[in-house]
Amino acid sequence: MLVKRLLVSFGVILSLASWALASDMRWLHVRVEDGGQEGEIVRVNLPLSLAEKVLPAIHTKEFHEGKVKVSEAKFKDVDIRAIIEALRTTPENEFVSVQSSHEDVRVAKSGGNLLVKVREAKDKEKGKTDTVEVSVPFTVVDALLSGNQDELDVLAAVRALGAIGDTVLVTVNDKDSKVRIWVDARNTAD
Amino acid sequence: MPVGAGTVAGGAGTLFLAAAIAGGAFVYDMGAVSIHVQGKKSGGENIRLILPAAAGPIALWMVPKEKLREGAREARPYLPAIEAATQELSRCPDFTLVEVTNPHETVHIAKRGDHLVIDVDDPNETVHVSVPLEAARLVASQLADIPAEEAGKESPPNSAAL
Repeated sequence: MLVKRLLVSFGVILSLASWALASDMRWLHVRVEDGGQEGEIVRVNLPLSLAEKVLPAIHTKEFHEGKVKVSEAKFKDVDIRAIIEALRTTPENEFVSVQSSHEDVRVAKSGGNLLVKVREAKDKEKGKTDTVEVSVPFTVVDALLSGNQDELDVLAAVRALGAIGDTVLVTVNDKDSKVRIWVDARNTAD
Repeated sequence: MPVGAGTVAGGAGTLFLAAAIAGGAFVYDMGAVSIHVQGKKSGGENIRLILPAAAGPIALWMVPKEKLREGAREARPYLPAIEAATQELSRCPDFTLVEVTNPHETVHIAKRGDHLVIDVDDPNETVHVSVPLEAARLVASQLADIPAEEAGKESPPNSAAL
């Protein structure tokens, strides 16, 4: 009888521990829906803890210790850090809006997030448009740019992603495909 | 007191039994690699293989050294990542890592218990592969242990820190 009770208690403790571990985990989800005839759907679910462990273990020429080398030429003419710093200290509003006959680009700061919305008219007569929406918390952008001038700290960005709440990072809707990338606490994609 | 032949035989038997139990425990602990290929067309093949996962690391001893070095050289940049991934995966709850569906086929890669499970279903056949994470980690670890100079390539920078 005592053994049975001990086993049941042990089982309950083990279940609670696994539930606590599982509920604490953050997941990155990617869903790509091909709008063509094939109608292929790709779903990827990745625990951020897995990315945190794997990234430092990858050592290639361009990727090392969770940081990716970016050719200096790409940063040569644009001081991204200065731009991000300027954006961060800017009050919340829409600060860049470019409208043309076939494309609208809107960059805004909202709720601590950097928002980029691109809307491209593909077929005016049929009213078809492609849209891309990117929403990245500034904490993640800061983490990404926290390394040296010529590198992006992907590992730091992943860690920062793990600390934010449920967030949709990227949404793409065009005539060929729909893409959605988001972070939440569930281990399944919708 | 002289040691009799019976005593020596008994000792050897005990040692053999202990070795067999230890070996059995190791094989049991590592689990099994399961492969099942089922053809869908008439006369299609039906292959079902269940191999002790311990056979993987053991099989590395039988691979010709030259081939092993070649494989280790090509895989070297990714081996620490494979080791890290398998270790972390074993701590994760069960989940589907990748799922691809289209009208012709579905591919499903998931973590189930201590195994990485791959299922493919296409018009010609269904394939089911189940690999214990520990076996994958051990194989990666063994390949990583082949010295870099032996594998014909320099160590990656900071590899000592891994």
